[in-house]
Amino acid sequence: MMTPSWILDLLAAVMLLVAAASAGRLVAARPWAGSTGDADIDIAHLLMGIAMAGMLVASLTTLPNGVWDAIFAVLTAWFGWRVYRESRGQGARVLADGHHMPHLVHSAAMLYMFAALNAAAAGSGGGMSGMGSSGMAMPTLSAPVVAFIFALWLAAYVVLDLDRLSGPAHGHGSYFARPALAGATTGAGSVSLAAPAVPAGTSAGAAAAQDQAAADGSHPAGGGLLATGSRSGSARALLLSPRAAAGCRIAMGVTMAFMLVIMI
Amino acid sequence: MSDIAVAGGEAARRDSASVTTADSWQPPDTRRVLQLSLAVIWLLDAVLQYQSFMFSKGFGQMLAGTASGNPGVVASPITWDANLVQHHTVLLNTIFATIQLLLALGIAWRPTLRVALAASIAWSLGVWWFGEGLGEVLNSGASPVNGAPGAVIIYALLAVLLWPSDGHAATAPFAAARAVGAQVARALWLVLWGSLAYFALMPGNRAPQALSSMIAGMASGEPGWLAALDNHAASLLAHQGLAASVVLAVALALIAVGVYLPRPAARATVVLAVVVAAVIWVFGEAFGGILAGGATDPNSGLLLILLAVTYWPARTAAAAAAAAQRAGAEGARA
Repeated sequence: MMTPSWILDLLAAVMLLVAAASAGRLVAARPWAGSTGDADIDIAHLLMGIAMAGMLVASLTTLPNGVWDAIFAVLTAWFGWRVYRESRGQGARVLADGHHMPHLVHSAAMLYMFAALNAAAAGSGGGMSGMGSSGMAMPTLSAPVVAFIFALWLAAYVVLDLDRLSGPAHGHGSYFARPALAGATTGAGSVSLAAPAVPAGTSAGAAAAQDQAAADGSHPAGGGLLATGSRSGSARALLLSPRAAAGCRIAMGVTMAFMLVIMI
Repeated sequence: MSDIAVAGGEAARRDSASVTTADSWQPPDTRRVLQLSLAVIWLLDAVLQYQSFMFSKGFGQMLAGTASGNPGVVASPITWDANLVQHHTVLLNTIFATIQLLLALGIAWRPTLRVALAASIAWSLGVWWFGEGLGEVLNSGASPVNGAPGAVIIYALLAVLLWPSDGHAATAPFAAARAVGAQVARALWLVLWGSLAYFALMPGNRAPQALSSMIAGMASGEPGWLAALDNHAASLLAHQGLAASVVLAVALALIAVGVYLPRPAARATVVLAVVVAAVIWVFGEAFGGILAGGATDPNSGLLLILLAVTYWPARTAAAAAAAAQRAGAEGARA
């Protein structure tokens, strides 16, 4: 009794796409040029995409489970620290509105999945394989109530993300915008704050302005300069747009909730 | 451009980013929060529908089982549908799960909210018949403890009550009344909870061991702590079927009429409804059997909780405006 392998293959392909998009976002954001952005989030998405693809399809397994456990423990601690820092400014509101809170939940869910599968595999005396491995029964998670809570939590973030993307607040763009670029999303005053240090027309300035354009559907300040940008510039803007980031997160949230539930 | 300039600019923007994040988000209003909660439950339904069991012959057999005891006119289409599902399990279950996923995403995505809610009503009615046998309402098997009158019909009810229309917003005493008005909303509440009270007193449910057996039956396959809870509850209710049914029916009847009472009593009623629904969800339904695997939805308890919250009496918009006016007048006098 198994979930059809083509569904698992399809989801694994989506996860690899998310990983590729996250890698693309990392490169496009050019952190080595001083743009801090959301490099940590992109790295987390890249790793989660690869790890989940390996969980869904055995042939895509890349690293031993123990290594993934360690990786997601580090990511969970990292995002926990980021959420703690955010909470000092926002208080409990960080749970619903925090920029890093969903990534903390994603990382913790991944940590739980690997830990629970390892525990179940140790109990049965076998190793963990992908869900789609031929002839294998579906692996079962220990502590299923934790899986259920994570699945509900992930579903809630998916729904909140969609609501924000389609709601009036998205016009302000800050929730999904990369922090280094979000200053451009508050309006003319904030644009002028950022503009002197990073003039429009430079790579980082262009990215900020284009991200803002993608965020609110408007034309960025200095749009004349950007309008003459190359095709690669628009691809970069697409990769760095808040909608792309949110799309990755939504796809990941749905897939993770699916994996948690089918392994209960 | 120097590195120092870049770093300075980044720092400035990081500072402004934190301000932006804190200031720009506006929490959705109560009704939108409830719509999003409904979307979360639909999303949970969708992923449950993708479980391995749903792709097996067992799913079709489960559907066929709901025909039992129903009148022929209801049972025949269920049997036909169950046969169809058994012959095309993978295709049809994939379609079912995907429809539920789209309903969830559609409710969450504001431009498609109305379409998704309307589709969810149609889908819920279809599933209520073909998937739940009309919640066993017609075959004397319905019990408030095991999900009567069918969890899925509550999805349809919620979609109606949370419809994004503000025809009665100014006078609506609770979120559920904003679209349909207070009278209609209260009548729907009365019918639902009143029917649950009636089902609690049906002969099959007030038998000495009925409630106890029902709860004990839910323990199978559950995690140890939940099975222990169920077993304890079952032994407490052993041979107490009649008394337990009467107490439950009285509580449900109080809930049914409570929304017609003044606001403080109505609030107490909603709290009682949440408590009763939570008890049903945990002890009677074992969270819909989700933790045992093979559940198609979280069953009625969670939906009854959500429904109760939509009836939480708040100050009407008109009353709030009047209060603000009074406060303004007092301020001016002072």
